[in-house]
Amino acid sequence: MASTTTSLKPIPSINLPSQSHRALASNFSYSKPFPFHGLNLSSVTETSSFTSSRSSNPFTTTAFFFNKFKQEAAPHTPKPAKVQELHVYEMNERDRSSPAVLKLSQKPVNSLGDLVPFTNKLYSGDLQKRVGITAGLCVLIQHVPEKKGDRYEAIYSFYFGDYGHLSVQGPYLTYEDTYLAVTGGSGIFEGAYGQVKLHQIVFPMKLYYTFYLKGIGDLPTELLGKPVPPSPAVEPSAAAKATEPHGSIPNFTN
Amino acid sequence: MAASDKVQELHVYEMNERDRGSPAYLRLSQKPVNSLGDIVPFSNKIYRGDMEKRIGITAGMCILIEHKPELKGDRYEAIFSFYFGDYGHIAVQGPYLTYQDSYLAITGGSGIFEGVSGQVKLHQIVFPFKLFYTFYLKGIGELPEELLCKPVDPHPAVEAVPAAKACEPHAAIANFTN
Repeated sequence: MASTTTSLKPIPSINLPSQSHRALASNFSYSKPFPFHGLNLSSVTETSSFTSSRSSNPFTTTAFFFNKFKQEAAPHTPKPAKVQELHVYEMNERDRSSPAVLKLSQKPVNSLGDLVPFTNKLYSGDLQKRVGITAGLCVLIQHVPEKKGDRYEAIYSFYFGDYGHLSVQGPYLTYEDTYLAVTGGSGIFEGAYGQVKLHQIVFPMKLYYTFYLKGIGDLPTELLGKPVPPSPAVEPSAAAKATEPHGSIPNFTN
Repeated sequence: MAASDKVQELHVYEMNERDRGSPAYLRLSQKPVNSLGDIVPFSNKIYRGDMEKRIGITAGMCILIEHKPELKGDRYEAIFSFYFGDYGHIAVQGPYLTYQDSYLAITGGSGIFEGVSGQVKLHQIVFPFKLFYTFYLKGIGELPEELLCKPVDPHPAVEAVPAAKACEPHAAIANFTN
């Protein structure tokens, strides 16, 4: 066991939440029907698996005590979070004035300082429905001459019309696949976390994403069609491109 | 014990060795003092907290929010990532104050850091060349031994050991980000 986890110091003057909101339900009412004030705190922590960061938290001793009386207690060993896969295609159809390459470094080669705001169209993984757009920024970090490409730090969102959005942050390398962090979301994606795999098919016009999402309810079937395997010639269905009603989600973002 | 309840500490030094063209101060406000509108993309090297292994880089940007003349410094909103080679990355967002320590939010990660949450303490040692970070990570499995260490105490003369600076195989993690 790594030494750092047992040498945890209390974190000074910071209001850390006593529980990760994902880890435990917290529906106790502290009516304290049982006289637990005689409970020795150190014996509680020895017989439980609480970390030292929790030992001063009265919430956890209450949870331990209630467990003995078979009350509905928040488990301190939550089930592994369910992962849902979501596949989408990002397509630059050259009709959104994107990307906007801001050569703010004022150097002839791609250099730190260059910024690239962008926005492209987003289609469901089966390429049958237009769902919305991407929107955000790529920060050029460095040109990588040996790979004939560049490293960007990308910060952007995926918009899914009335369903909400997903926000991501992480590496975009023009020469290989990467994983970005899912930093959050709204609507049906509220509370989302996990990572997303970015696969570039045709630089910079066609990209294929596989989201590995946790922390949300079941995704709507409309977004879960069998994905088309990525290849350079993939195109959205004609109805999706034309955003006909059956080829798009309600109020797809545009 | 569930991985997700546990808080794990990780210590990292961020060093600007002036060989990455960083930072790129974009004075888009077009004002003589640091002003809202200025943007500062940056990328520096990161080392394990004991300064004995090169881990990777930071990459992202600082958005100048406000110059604080009375404190002789600036407030930035920082959005950036820490890259740990094959292990993955940690994304953060929050305040960078050039005149005092701050805590940033951990917004997510990839690889071994997939699903991570928590916060990170930023301690500036020498503005803007040497910073010391303490991550308080939740929601991930046990960190690999290679990333854990007894950190060197931050002080102005702190430097990575020569082998780590030279990225010799024993003094760098596998496929450290560069």
